[in-house]
Amino acid sequence: MYESVRDLVHVAEKREKALSELIIEEECHDSGISRKKVWQRMRINLLTMQNAIKQGETGDGVRSRTGLTGGEAIKLKNYRERGKTLSGDAMMAAVENAVATNEVNAAMGVVCATPTAGSSGTLPGILFMLEKRLKLTEEQMIRFLFTAGGFGLIIANHAGIAGATGGCQEEVGTASAIAAAAAVEAAGGTPEQSSHALAIALSNLLGLVCDPIAGLVEVPCVKRNAIGAGNSLIAADMALAGCTSAIPADECIVALDRVGRSMSAELRETGIGGLAGTPTGQAIKARIFGKNL
Amino acid sequence: MRNNYKSVFDIIGPIMIGPSSSHTAGAVQIGRVANKLFETIPPKVTVHYYGSFAQTHRGHGTDYAIAAGIMGFPADDSRVPLAPTIARKRGMDLRFVEEVGESPIHHPNTAILKMTDGTKKITVAGCSIGGGAIEIRAISLNGVDILPAGPLPIVIFRDYSKKMANALAINADLEEKAPFTRRQVLRAGNCDIYVYDIQNKMQPDTIDYFENKYPNIICL
Repeated sequence: MYESVRDLVHVAEKREKALSELIIEEECHDSGISRKKVWQRMRINLLTMQNAIKQGETGDGVRSRTGLTGGEAIKLKNYRERGKTLSGDAMMAAVENAVATNEVNAAMGVVCATPTAGSSGTLPGILFMLEKRLKLTEEQMIRFLFTAGGFGLIIANHAGIAGATGGCQEEVGTASAIAAAAAVEAAGGTPEQSSHALAIALSNLLGLVCDPIAGLVEVPCVKRNAIGAGNSLIAADMALAGCTSAIPADECIVALDRVGRSMSAELRETGIGGLAGTPTGQAIKARIFGKNL
Repeated sequence: MRNNYKSVFDIIGPIMIGPSSSHTAGAVQIGRVANKLFETIPPKVTVHYYGSFAQTHRGHGTDYAIAAGIMGFPADDSRVPLAPTIARKRGMDLRFVEEVGESPIHHPNTAILKMTDGTKKITVAGCSIGGGAIEIRAISLNGVDILPAGPLPIVIFRDYSKKMANALAINADLEEKAPFTRRQVLRAGNCDIYVYDIQNKMQPDTIDYFENKYPNIICL
């Protein structure tokens, strides 16, 4: 297992190997499972993500049991078809995929957590947009997932990936950062650029609180994944352009951990503070669960 | 660096039924640990929630997730959302209690499961650390309190014959096939309990090997 982003980038440069290759080797080494099996397992994760997107983007889309979320991936799809998006079709395709995935999650469909279920739309959002834009092969898409997973392991072991311990910055923030790092590799960037993309994406979502209304994974979670996808693309593009993060990726991860620890419990997935604590948030909670909660 | 997460599949995965990896998929895993420890479906279970689990278990589907795990369902089983109904149909007395105050195992996503069939009593305290990964920080088994390091895998061996030879054999076997970072030996009234914190994930065939070879071994 790699100790730090610096360590991972250093080994990739020294051995002139792709980040994804190092992470696949490491996974086989640590688990004792054959490369073929590890690859196949990741392929199943990829297919699960693809199915979730398809489910959310087909027909009228999906609706959650509470009615709080659903159907907006379809709105985005129709909007894109009119060809007049402000931020461009690639960006909105990623957003549509992200929203579709999290709507399926909220509707209790099957998703692949990346790194969590609440943040399961961000990474596939970008990946399946890049599939078309960069004409990625299935092999490249699976490599994208390994690269993202490798960076995610470093974040998870140095900070965390739970809203209850570190806020949404650890969920959508992490998803956005690891997807940015993997997107750079998919686009032909260097390992160093991947680390800058990770640092930029993580920095931009630092401090994001976890404030789910009624304790559900619906509002604001679904739309946060749209923003996570957008942030990820911006960070990846900036890194590919040669922009750098003044703060090294590993220090950003330490900051993520410290910020998470200093958040009050109200803002860590308790459904008390932030948007959950607004009059409307409280009214929705009362409507769904009754007033005695 | 903490070593709670051991595989890229902890980050990309699990494949699961929504809505929350920590409050649903992780809760299923805590239930599955309880199922393994009780070695059958326990007739009576009281679940005590702390922190975020206490505040949001209804919205997150934590109740059905724990119930599913207790019955041994995997996290992507389509029966997961129906689990409490299935459990009650099977005659299980299942209760959920929202506790106030600090979690006894110091994590905001804590569930403590107290299981009994009238004579046997087993308690397990688990926390869901994010992305579907869990830690088991306390177990009460055969009247003895066990405090593992937390991260899985954990192997528990109960030696009712109390022969050192058994322990030496299992030690050597584990060192070869599933190296451990710590071993604890506890004395219960009717058996010796060995608790091993295992370094890396155990593959299904390794778990089968140990479960077939040693009676009264539990691989969590």
